[in-house]
Amino acid sequence: MPPIIDPTKCTGCGVCVDVCSEDVFFGSEKGKVPVITYPEFCVHFNCCASECPEEGAIKLRLPLPQMILYKKGADT
Amino acid sequence: MGNGILMEELIETDVLCVGGGIAGLMAAIRARELGAKVIVAEKGNTLHSGRGRAGNDHFWCYIPEVHGADMELFLKECLKGPKLRLMQAGTSMKVLRAFLENSFDIVKLWDRWGISMKYQGRWEFAGHSFPGDVLTHLKYAGLKQKRILTEKALEKGAEIMNRVMIYDLLRADGGIVGAIGIHTREKKVVVFQAKAVILGTGFVDRLYPPPVSGWLASVAGGLTLTGDGRAMIYRAGGDVVGPEIPRRHVGPRYFSRYGQATWVGVLRDPQDKPIGPYVTKPDRIYGDMTPEVRGTLLEDYMKSGQGPVYMDCRGISNEDYEYMMYWMVHEGNSSLLEFMKEEGIDIRRHPVEFQIYNMLPEGKIWINERAETSVEGLYAAGDESMGGIGPSATYGWIAGENAATYVKDAPSLDLKKAREKIEEKKVLAEKMRTREIGPDWKEANIALQQIMQDYAGSVRSETLLTAGLSYLQMLRDKADATLMARNQWELTRCLETRNLLDIGELVFIAAQERRESRGLHNRPDYPFTDPMLDGKGLFIRKVGEQPVLEWKAIN
Repeated sequence: MPPIIDPTKCTGCGVCVDVCSEDVFFGSEKGKVPVITYPEFCVHFNCCASECPEEGAIKLRLPLPQMILYKKGADT
Repeated sequence: MGNGILMEELIETDVLCVGGGIAGLMAAIRARELGAKVIVAEKGNTLHSGRGRAGNDHFWCYIPEVHGADMELFLKECLKGPKLRLMQAGTSMKVLRAFLENSFDIVKLWDRWGISMKYQGRWEFAGHSFPGDVLTHLKYAGLKQKRILTEKALEKGAEIMNRVMIYDLLRADGGIVGAIGIHTREKKVVVFQAKAVILGTGFVDRLYPPPVSGWLASVAGGLTLTGDGRAMIYRAGGDVVGPEIPRRHVGPRYFSRYGQATWVGVLRDPQDKPIGPYVTKPDRIYGDMTPEVRGTLLEDYMKSGQGPVYMDCRGISNEDYEYMMYWMVHEGNSSLLEFMKEEGIDIRRHPVEFQIYNMLPEGKIWINERAETSVEGLYAAGDESMGGIGPSATYGWIAGENAATYVKDAPSLDLKKAREKIEEKKVLAEKMRTREIGPDWKEANIALQQIMQDYAGSVRSETLLTAGLSYLQMLRDKADATLMARNQWELTRCLETRNLLDIGELVFIAAQERRESRGLHNRPDYPFTDPMLDGKGLFIRKVGEQPVLEWKAIN
């Protein structure tokens, strides 16, 4: 789901905006913290986070409907 | 005439690569090497676009020193595998052979360029094969492949235009004169004059409803894989083959991902019984082939109440676990690994639920062994024609080579002959941008997806297909007359949906014509598989305004 940007760490370099195929950051302005215009169209490929030069400035959050389902209590 | 809301930019080139995925970039690199002027038009950014955007780890290829000198025997062995057989339905033996012949050269090229094709100094083959069978897929470190290919294309002098979506081809005098696109951010239309066009636009992941209801982007390939190339070539009078045979991938439930063959585990039911006959413990070379042979089994387990089905990696050795994690990253699944870590999910202890995903129509752009389509000056490569990383890289290369050779002697073009068409296409885009009320792309796409699922989905019949086609045509008429886009991003999605409508129509028409059941094309009104159709493909092309179907032997 949405990339979550930490505005205290983001430098506004715009690399995340450049590389997103879905262009979820459409409408962002260079030099400013990106806007996440289309959060529901993030496909969680981590392209933005992998290219971001600042540690911890951007990360992805998995939306509830896409929660990873696993078998609990199976580890005995 | 257009009302001028979209500026027009005109660009001339020799070779236009539509789509900057693996195929498109390989084509650009090779065409540049042979001296052609090359532009790559990509609707995202080639650094991270296409199915290969975050990496891959399996490269089908023939390596004589590993597989032996008899390539024909290797070819036969490959076609035993269900995935390869299905993937290649609609691909001629000549095309397959040319791919295998060239594949090792491409492997060596990639390795030289910095995409590491060896693992710990050796050719490592694993995945997509049955225990005891020949190994066909080379494990390679694809994480940075798009960056490496992008930089190579730029180094060779190709021009890359990101954020440009090509939405129609331009024809004149029986051949190609160029293509028209929109910028996905700025208010403009880009008209390309090109002597040759290479379609590397990937496959179709938005025609059927996604695994998560109402969450259009919950598809494994991303939002932008809409088969633009095959829709465009169909509209331009070229041949598409086999849209009626679908396929479906398998992976983690709801969080759709590719890379099922990278999981080192066993698919089991809730009582820990394997659902398939191939493996009983994690095997890093063979994985579990059950989903490739019969992925619908996972759905059957849910329908009968025996599910869920889990991918169970318990019992994996430490060494095999590290192996799997390494390859998951290269396959592009680092976000999956991160999410699991955040949740405390450890695949060594927790089985992860798996499901089968949405239908993908097969419908290929028909090519020969030179990557030529049925339209002069038009080439295709990648998932639009012969899919998978190995074939995409190899046919991208072949397409680039042949397109560059072709343009040397191609006559000079006169785009003026296509001016009327250009204006017509501009108006199409401008109308969508000017409407202020009306359905947007999401309405049209969702409406289309449910028609596809309910009438050309897992159950097809004459009555259902007839009804569904008529509903699709009703939807298309409404969409053509009323679809609106609030900005260039939405306009891109609208033009993609327009392509999906065309592809959907081809699925209906071809599914009606295939009066048998075969693979996932399931017709209760024709429940048998007709052996007379073995080795044949159903070709569709537009003649005038009508689709014309033809059965042809594929060899």
